Amino acid sequence: MSQLRALDLVRSYGRTPALRGVTLDVDEGEILAVTGPSGCGKSTLLHCLAGILRPDAGQVLWRGERLDTWSEAARSKLRRTEFGVLFQFGQLVAELTAAENVALPLLLAGTGRREARETAVTWLHRFGVAELADVRPGEMSGGQQQRCATARALVTSPRVLFADEPTGALDSLTGEEVLTTLVRVAREQRTSIVLVTHEPRIAAYADREVTLRDGTVDHTGLGLDAPLIGGDR
Amino acid sequence: MKPPALLRLALAGTRTDTARVLLTAFSAALAALAAFAALNVLAIPTPAATDENAGRWSEQYSHALLREPGLRGGTAFALVLLTIPVLALAGQCARLGAPARDRRLAAFRLAGATPGQVTRLAMVETGVASLLGTLTGLALYLVGRELLDRPDERGQLALPTDVLPHGGAFAAVVVGLPLVAGLSSALMLRPVITTPLGVTRRAARERGPGPWAGMLIVAGVAGFIVGWPVMLGRTVDGPYVGLALVLLIGGGLAAMFGIVTGTGWISYTTGRLLRRYARHPAALLAAGRLMSDPWAGSRAFAALLAAVTFGAGAAALRSYFVTQDRLMREESRVAGGEVGDNPFYLSTISLVDLAVAVALVIAATGLLVAVVEGIVARRRSYTALVAAGVPRGTLGWSIAWQAVLPAVPAVLLALTVGTVLGRAFFGDVVRGSSTYAVCEASEALCADPATREQYTRITESAALRAVPDVPLEQLALLGAGALAGVLATVGIGLLFLRSSTATEELRTT
Repeated sequence: MSQLRALDLVRSYGRTPALRGVTLDVDEGEILAVTGPSGCGKSTLLHCLAGILRPDAGQVLWRGERLDTWSEAARSKLRRTEFGVLFQFGQLVAELTAAENVALPLLLAGTGRREARETAVTWLHRFGVAELADVRPGEMSGGQQQRCATARALVTSPRVLFADEPTGALDSLTGEEVLTTLVRVAREQRTSIVLVTHEPRIAAYADREVTLRDGTVDHTGLGLDAPLIGGDR
Repeated sequence: MKPPALLRLALAGTRTDTARVLLTAFSAALAALAAFAALNVLAIPTPAATDENAGRWSEQYSHALLREPGLRGGTAFALVLLTIPVLALAGQCARLGAPARDRRLAAFRLAGATPGQVTRLAMVETGVASLLGTLTGLALYLVGRELLDRPDERGQLALPTDVLPHGGAFAAVVVGLPLVAGLSSALMLRPVITTPLGVTRRAARERGPGPWAGMLIVAGVAGFIVGWPVMLGRTVDGPYVGLALVLLIGGGLAAMFGIVTGTGWISYTTGRLLRRYARHPAALLAAGRLMSDPWAGSRAFAALLAAVTFGAGAAALRSYFVTQDRLMREESRVAGGEVGDNPFYLSTISLVDLAVAVALVIAATGLLVAVVEGIVARRRSYTALVAAGVPRGTLGWSIAWQAVLPAVPAVLLALTVGTVLGRAFFGDVVRGSSTYAVCEASEALCADPATREQYTRITESAALRAVPDVPLEQLALLGAGALAGVLATVGIGLLFLRSSTATEELRTT
């Protein structure tokens, strides 16, 4: 069942068009890969779907409601409760430990300090970096940082996770390890993932693949090469 | 590298780099103005002694600080001291956008630039900006000199607009200031110059700064307390004058340095306490930042704390002079005379207060630069947090906590140390201790040198002693003003938070 829908989205940066009428659906628990060459509008589409950017025209529907008309505060609240966001790099707060970084969304939601930390450590354990709970990002490798960031994005058990090139800064082996864990955890808690990537190898983890070209949907198909991880395809 | 290419590469950069160049020029202009003003005071010629003017006063000036040759050195020194907050401002400006500049210069190294070329690039950027600022300062000084050259009704001048420093002195400032600025910027860029990979990842600080700054404060105050009696016991050419000056100036500087470095300890300790007990994410973020870079507080508040310490010391001196005036009036009343207030010292202290106010404004500007720099340097992390749903208000509160929490105890410490230094300088006010002879026989016996001693009793009149009040009202005003300045600068700095966390940053950072 479709829980997030983009209808004829248009978005430009100045005079440069990024999206020229994109329509797509994201079903509950689905892993959707958005692929395409550089500059085709992948990240812009993700930002519009996540409520980070407002489209110039078109609609973003979240469970039937016009998300694009919501206030900044309401969209922010949605992003920290129902959505999770994961970027390529630069998302951890350098001055906080891994556990504090992961606990941050929980603290924002009003969870008690002790409980937030315990939950954060549990999530770090799921991503195999529990021993780094009291370590700051500057002392971690890129892969370790990305595991912490992924744990933070999932700690609130979001309905949809938006991941923009989440393994782009990692080597292929580490990238696959991070992605395998991410997909397994997402399937366990039926979190949908919108995965922006330009790598076919990463897109193969998805249930479905949407290819953009020059701001429009060029092709939609199944991620046929995707491995079976933690659930049915 | 040819000079045009050097200049082009040195001045290449983003809006932040342009802001840094402009602010560096601005602080250089202020420093140049202070330096020219000091040179101007020193350029006042001392007239030859005459019967009418045994003190060799320069009667063409309305204020004693310029008129009396003995006071002009101190006035020039005070003007040079004004450059301290200006230099602190310049230091803050140099840090604006420093991470991005470091990355750019490291990229030049990767592209094949030699360490010497990168050093020259950094020096040219700061040097050109400082030269522009110094020349602007020179122009402002010359224009201001013309505009303010207005004698009063008695034909006296408020400022020494009738003299000009020596041409060599002008040249020394115009050349020296940009040179010093360029050299210091090259020094700060050493890690980038050494490695083409730029700034390496820093391991987190395991232990915070120790409370050793407290020892500096105690030593500084002790130097001040010991220095003044040594000064009083001096002879003009005696051996103790140098020692007394070392104790007083060294003590004052040690105490000031102790306060500034002590802020690092205060920041770390506040951060540690906050991290232990914080429940709100804003406080947790602030705690993390206070602990990870406790010296940021020292850097940001250095000029502000120096100005507050100086202001508190001036308030203590004012209290001393007010008490002294009161005792003089009492003394003259007992003697049957009537003495009015002596406004000289109080008006001099008012000038010091004015200098402190100027220093506070400059320090607040430096703080604003520090706040904005902190936001801009972390914009990628902030934008990612905003994108993840963290309200900007939470980020704003964390920045405010980060500034205010160490500022409150640091300002209180500066007020206390400044007051103690001011009190130690002169101590209690003592007036009227004198001896006189009382004749206990006939006048003839007391007048006869042979019997005078036998019939004359020496009586000592009781000295009037008073302890100057602690100037609580002025200290409260000064402290409140400093904290209001901190809050105002944080408030203005937060205006940059929205633009720095605009979602476009996700594409560009």
